[in-house]
Amino acid sequence: MEYKQIELKKGIKLHTINTNQFKTNLISIFITTKLNRENVTKNAVISAILRRGSKTMPSQEEISKQMEGMYGASFDCGLDKTGDNQVLKFYLETVNDNFLPQKGEDMLKTSMEKLLEIVFNPHIENESFKPEYVEQEKNNIKQRIEGKIDNKARYALDRCIEEMYKDAPFGLYKFGYVEDLESIDGKNLYEYYQELINTCKIDIFVSGMIEDDVNQVVTANENIEKLKERTPEYIVPKELNKNLPRQEKMITDSMEVTQGKLILGLDICLDKEDLRYDTLIYNSILGGSANSKMFQNVREKAHLAYVASSTYLRYKNNIFVNCGIEIGNYEKALKLIKQQIEDMKKGDFTEEDLQNAKKGMIAAIKTIDDEQDTGITYYFGQELSESDISVQEYMNKIEQVRKEDVVHIAENVTINTVYFLRD
Amino acid sequence: MQVIENLKVKEKVYTEKLENGLTVMIIPKKGMQKKYMIWGTHYGSNESSFVVPGEDEVTTVPNGVAHFLEHKLFEQENGTNSLDILTALGVEANAYTTNDHTAYLFECTDNFYKAMDELMNYVQHPYFTDENVEKEKGIIGQEIMMYDDYPEWRVYLNAMQAMYHKNPVKIDIVGTIETISKIDKDILYKCYNTFYNPSNMTMVLCGDFEPENIIEEVKKRLIDTKPSGEIKGIYPEEPDEIVQEKIEQKLEVSQPLYTIGIKDSGGCDVKKHIAIEILLNLIIGRSSNLYKELYNEGIIFAQPGLEYEFTNIYAHVLIDGQSNNPEKVYQKFKEEVNRLKTEGINEEDFTRMKKMIYGGYIKEYNDVADIAKMFLADCFKAINSFDYLEEIEGVTVEYLEQILKDVFKEEKMILSIVKN
Repeated sequence: MEYKQIELKKGIKLHTINTNQFKTNLISIFITTKLNRENVTKNAVISAILRRGSKTMPSQEEISKQMEGMYGASFDCGLDKTGDNQVLKFYLETVNDNFLPQKGEDMLKTSMEKLLEIVFNPHIENESFKPEYVEQEKNNIKQRIEGKIDNKARYALDRCIEEMYKDAPFGLYKFGYVEDLESIDGKNLYEYYQELINTCKIDIFVSGMIEDDVNQVVTANENIEKLKERTPEYIVPKELNKNLPRQEKMITDSMEVTQGKLILGLDICLDKEDLRYDTLIYNSILGGSANSKMFQNVREKAHLAYVASSTYLRYKNNIFVNCGIEIGNYEKALKLIKQQIEDMKKGDFTEEDLQNAKKGMIAAIKTIDDEQDTGITYYFGQELSESDISVQEYMNKIEQVRKEDVVHIAENVTINTVYFLRD
Repeated sequence: MQVIENLKVKEKVYTEKLENGLTVMIIPKKGMQKKYMIWGTHYGSNESSFVVPGEDEVTTVPNGVAHFLEHKLFEQENGTNSLDILTALGVEANAYTTNDHTAYLFECTDNFYKAMDELMNYVQHPYFTDENVEKEKGIIGQEIMMYDDYPEWRVYLNAMQAMYHKNPVKIDIVGTIETISKIDKDILYKCYNTFYNPSNMTMVLCGDFEPENIIEEVKKRLIDTKPSGEIKGIYPEEPDEIVQEKIEQKLEVSQPLYTIGIKDSGGCDVKKHIAIEILLNLIIGRSSNLYKELYNEGIIFAQPGLEYEFTNIYAHVLIDGQSNNPEKVYQKFKEEVNRLKTEGINEEDFTRMKKMIYGGYIKEYNDVADIAKMFLADCFKAINSFDYLEEIEGVTVEYLEQILKDVFKEEKMILSIVKN
């Protein structure tokens, strides 16, 4: 495995991960821009509209036919909040030439050209996205926004984040807002699109058995050629400290649910970047694995839940504790969860717990290169946070975490919001 | 050891049936850090009535036992829990239950042999007490309630109710609060002793292994067991007809969820599976006219899920997704099936779909976990996973048209909806 990056133009990078571990080549294009209320909905529509057609493949049907003919190339789009940024993601996965029945397909070159065209050379009529497509995709995004209630556990988490980050960018819903859709039309969306692709941060990733000329293919591509140099505006997610609320917020929503979803949003105050590694271990012991306090005490001993876990959102320095419980057990469960958080502060965990957490974490890091998309996500995370930590260094940092470091994190954890979704 | 190599995807599978009846499959992946081990029994929620080898009487147990066993096997006599021990080794351990099998697995980079010790130990040493069985009912109860809140699961399970009169596929894998309340340690031991005999089990290993060595490591860890005779599954006679064409449930969702089902008869046939995948893509796949029409009219906004589920005792086609007008999707789907039946299949579309399906099968071989799980699930259907790559070539337009006529019958179709 070999990772390289080159700057194609200021603000535009090509990253290559050369590996012979996979049957496929995976290309990703990431468009990163600042998250704000003004543009969040427009970005969502952009990510949808680009799937509808490009210069030489003017319809969705045409794109699909091309992909099917390329031995089922998988084309996919995603939209993510990464720290205070919104990232529009485009993926194309194709079978490597070595596993195709015919020789000489040059699938990597073809797929790179197709994906660049879809993202940077959309189907345009009279300086406008096709109005019919825009209306359909606005409707599509509306469904997505309204669809957030369908997955109750996910909804509870999103609501908790929204309450914690009221009036802050990170509280925004990644698909935007129904009321902001109205003013979007083909013309103003295309104007916005041009501004976006000429000012945003662009990262192109290729993972697979890469021929030497992939740089050449990208550099010489007409769609890359016409992009301007830029000083992209985005937020390097390095937030450490927080303005802590004076008291924890309690929020309860009602919905038709059989099981209550309880979420605790925790703030973590750090004074050094490297403390993030300690926090990863803290989270693992609190609720990150089957050995964790949450799993052992809330699920296995008290039998209050089937799901009892926690997740560390490193870019925002928050931990979310998450539990599905019987609604009548709310008080009991909340008390027990708070007890786990308190016990962490008291250092009530063993050296063995610490070692186990490290082993789990290191095993996960070791597999970064075994999964194509995980590899790309890792190097993109490095790129975005302007760090340059190799997989080996990452493991070393985890290895060095001591018990007192974890207790230090525990002492800096405060409950920001307790969110409960019930009937 | 039998070796089968597939030249298309350039992988090999080594298979050996041991003296005690256990089937072991090894798919070496040179250079991979990850190692994956999965051990499954050909026993899932379908089996609630059976004749234990050596007995004459039929045994019938409450629904949800296979899944209950999956939860309970982790518990050890010395008070430890194997999931904790595996997690402490830094490996990702898990287990799952389906309609036709239950599997125990782990994925790791280090400590492979220690994890193998633990996995093989706990699967071979059940320990059930009245107390630990009672305790589990609370946790599984929460799991059942969690599924009650998943509209995707409700719409699927209701589709089964609409298609099947008696077939066990209509039963929820986890059982119900009521059925699990009847489970006790004697039932668990009886089912364990019946279905966890090595001759009813398959183990798959995928990662950077030397097949000859790893098979010896497996043998070393097996306790002495004699293969048992055939376990006779008793399944209720299932009529060919569906139960009801339409079924609906209310749940708070933003937009209705639908599943269109087509009831077929049980059996495991790779070529037929490939044909149905191609047909579904021709009918309502991303490049189809029907998809374009429904999308442009704002009736659907994403590609529906397309699947053919089958075991020896049932088979059905499923098309699922969200729509503001599921009735219309259903109506149009039927019309498109009829159009295809009368007008025939376009040769160019067919060739393109074959390429797509071929690429799809190749992509299954990227990840050790996906590979091992695939070989295990296929093995319980008496299928060698490589067959998918080999059988595509033999699928012709004529064969597709035959399957279209035989399987996509209007009187076998159902529509399940979950909406506000």
